[in-house]
Amino acid sequence: MSIKVNQQEHQLTKLSIENEMTIYTALEHKTTLTDHLKNNKDIQIDLSGVTEIDCAGLQLLLFLKRQAIEQQINLTLTQHSQAVVEVFELLDLGNHFGDPIVISADWKQ
Amino acid sequence: MSEFDSALKIFAQESEQLLLDMEGALLSLESDPDDSEMINSLFRAMHTIKGSSGLFGFNPIVAFTHEAESVLDKVRNNERAIDGELISVMLDSKDHTARLIEHCLSSPDQPLPDELTVASDALIKRLTGKQHTHIQAQATDTSQVHSEGGGNISIDDSWLISLDFRDNAFRNGMDPLSFIRYLKTLGEIKQILTFFPEMPHGEVMDPESCYLHFKIAFTSDASKQTIESVFEYAADDCDIKILPPNSKVNAYLQLLDSLDENHVSRLGEMLIQVGALTEHDVEHALKDQSDAQQDTAKPLGEILVEQQMVQKPVVEHALKKQEQTKQKVAAENSYIRVDADKLGHLINLVGELVISSAAMNLIVERHGLTDAGDVAASMNSLVSSIRDTALELRMVQIGETFSRFRRVVRDVSNELGKEIDLQISGGETELDKTVVEKINDPLMHLIRNSLDHGIESPAQRLAVGKPAQGIVQLNAYHESGHIVIQIADDGAGLDSDKIVEKAIANGIIKADHSLTQQEIYNLIFAAGLSTKAQATNLSGRGVGMDVVKKNIEALRGSVMIDSIPGEGTTISIQLPLTLAIIDGFMVGTEQVRYIIPLSMVDECIEMDSTESEINEIEHFINLRGHALPYLRLGEYFNTPKSNVVKKHESVVVVKFGQDRAGFVVDELHGEHQTVIKPLGKMFEKLKGITGATVLGDGNVALILDVQGLIEAAIGKRKRKPALLH
Amino acid sequence: MAKTIMIVDDSASIRQVVTIALKGAGYDVIEAVDGKDALSKLTGQKINLIITDVNMPIMDGITFVQEAKKLAAYKFTPMMMLTTESADDKKQAGKAAGAKAWLTKPFQAPTLLDAVSKLVLP
Repeated sequence: MSIKVNQQEHQLTKLSIENEMTIYTALEHKTTLTDHLKNNKDIQIDLSGVTEIDCAGLQLLLFLKRQAIEQQINLTLTQHSQAVVEVFELLDLGNHFGDPIVISADWKQ
Repeated sequence: MSEFDSALKIFAQESEQLLLDMEGALLSLESDPDDSEMINSLFRAMHTIKGSSGLFGFNPIVAFTHEAESVLDKVRNNERAIDGELISVMLDSKDHTARLIEHCLSSPDQPLPDELTVASDALIKRLTGKQHTHIQAQATDTSQVHSEGGGNISIDDSWLISLDFRDNAFRNGMDPLSFIRYLKTLGEIKQILTFFPEMPHGEVMDPESCYLHFKIAFTSDASKQTIESVFEYAADDCDIKILPPNSKVNAYLQLLDSLDENHVSRLGEMLIQVGALTEHDVEHALKDQSDAQQDTAKPLGEILVEQQMVQKPVVEHALKKQEQTKQKVAAENSYIRVDADKLGHLINLVGELVISSAAMNLIVERHGLTDAGDVAASMNSLVSSIRDTALELRMVQIGETFSRFRRVVRDVSNELGKEIDLQISGGETELDKTVVEKINDPLMHLIRNSLDHGIESPAQRLAVGKPAQGIVQLNAYHESGHIVIQIADDGAGLDSDKIVEKAIANGIIKADHSLTQQEIYNLIFAAGLSTKAQATNLSGRGVGMDVVKKNIEALRGSVMIDSIPGEGTTISIQLPLTLAIIDGFMVGTEQVRYIIPLSMVDECIEMDSTESEINEIEHFINLRGHALPYLRLGEYFNTPKSNVVKKHESVVVVKFGQDRAGFVVDELHGEHQTVIKPLGKMFEKLKGITGATVLGDGNVALILDVQGLIEAAIGKRKRKPALLH
Repeated sequence: MAKTIMIVDDSASIRQVVTIALKGAGYDVIEAVDGKDALSKLTGQKINLIITDVNMPIMDGITFVQEAKKLAAYKFTPMMMLTTESADDKKQAGKAAGAKAWLTKPFQAPTLLDAVSKLVLP
């Protein structure tokens, strides 16, 4: 499973997504992540392990964010990997998700 | 008078003139918003007034004109577009400036009264409130934008690219991100909006379906073709719209101006040539156009603008250019003005030539002169070319006649308090000048009728959910040797109950009539029938429609009416292209010869064939299983029967509009060029005959009134009781 | 991580030119000589784009695309057909099978890289 639960307490869940977030994983990711949306008030998703993200992966993040807002859940994306940052910058979506993006110094440019 | 006073006087005069010029410029910009000379003159007016007001210390004028000047400077630099709203603000600003000047001149020491201050502020707000053309102004449906990539996009220098991906994009291996990454290699993405208005919530959302739409403002020197090719592979899975930057518009306009003026191109071709459109755009728009129902199909230019493929000014400019080129090409063709009488004489002579040539053929045939046969044949074909060319000389386009009705429609709709748009198509359709001259009055009457009876008042229209503005369409086209002129309105349609009521009251029909809807509509052409409860001075007095029908029939034409209650009425006039010579089909019965206009002949059948048989009792011909009404021409015209026993009969199947009938004759003589000689006054009332012609052997053949005879045949069939049912 | 592209063509020279061009641009390349060979090399590894010729012995390109689309690991992989100018019907057949991109033969290396980079940047 490419989604790991790192911490789960008092309606706060910290998850991390590993490897790719693409059309090939979209269905599986959607099922797992929407399940987590059901029982939590706070969700943090660590994206540092995302090696590849395509438009289907991005669409899923957009979907989750909208879903979370509708269910009044705090959805926070953290530790954006280089692949995620590249896509957010390409589509100018940083503000949309509203999470601070930390750019690591050791990324190859 | 001090020097200062005289300077003030000059200032007053100069300002007045400048403001007057400004008003003129604004009004002309309304119709041609790209006229840079006019924009300059606006700018000059505000600039000069500001400058000289400063000299005199008229600060309120300086403050106000400064704002107007800055806005106009933006317009001048193509940073802001001239639109109706700006023009109206500018007109108000002009009036306001005049008031400010008046105040400063009359009471230079008084502070500005409150109402002028308030007006200044309000106008400044209107002037500066909308500085830029925003993406919102261009995008079709931004109310659904969910993901704001940060406010508005200033697109004056940017291409506006809309990508609406469809469900299967991801499944087909298309990653929108790849195309956008590639796009970045061609230029700079100024702003990008991502939105997903149709993405379902919860379970229903399929993460493998694509719900994303993008709007991208993009600056690049690449051509539209190149930008389009970025998304080439996505074309099946994405609606792609690429609108050139506003700043490119001027470049396109200049390129359009420099196009070759010696060749008329089609709109799409011109726009591709200057790079405003790609072939793909045009194909797409043409397909949309041909997919649309005929009555809803729009001009290509309109579709292109609607689909945001290109800006409206570019299309308008191209159309203007096209028109100019057309005129230039037309003007370069040299014309000779010829006396119409001379032309008429020529055509008469050609008519005689046709008859003589027929006579010569007859002699050649009778004497079996094979050598002469070839010569006669080639002369024959020459004669028919001469005939066609001579008739063409008198052909004129109907467009000019149509255009005259614009004014009529404008005046009449004002008079009636209605909003009516006249749409003209088929103006290039040609017909004989003599026909054009005679059709003018009937057309005028029919159009006035449409305006008065057809189109409802704006209030009535709005009440039934139609747009306040009514539409009258004038259309012309050729159909089987005839010209068809249609007058269609989108008004209330004919009220068949009222027509019947009135017709019964006037004794035109009996109360127990069994008329079809079509026949009821045609009653409006009967004398003394008007359904409009209140007659206006335009129409409605019950005279006119019968005269219209008579005039049209005098031209060997016909008029038909069709109507859908609530949706409108269409009147179709069918006219022969010329009144002089026709291609005829000659038949004979009981030694008398008749000519049927060839364009109305459908087919000829030998009666002893197995395909058809005559049912004398029910009065129809069984033609391959269909009942066809018929007439025996000999019987109809009461020609004395000869004693010769007939071997067999033939049937000529004729058609007119939707109707068909069979004429039973003894002999088929074949095609014959027919010079129409009008019948004398004595024979005018003769039923079934519209004219006569002189044959090569000197005998006379009668030209049949096919429409009348078909009606007679149909009538005859109806009166026969159905015995066998 | 370099992107991987598979090139399927029975012509050794075309395979070679394509491979050199793609490797030079920074892609990893897998070669196959026909549809059947290509299918046997689709073993679950990540492939970002498949470029295939249409006319090949043993298994033609259109059948290959249809078969590859049935494999879970490749059903969403973009496919590009190499067609000849005259074979528009092949292009349509390829599109119907699932290869939405195409490149007209003969082509030169820059054209290929341009077409490829619309779908996958290295």
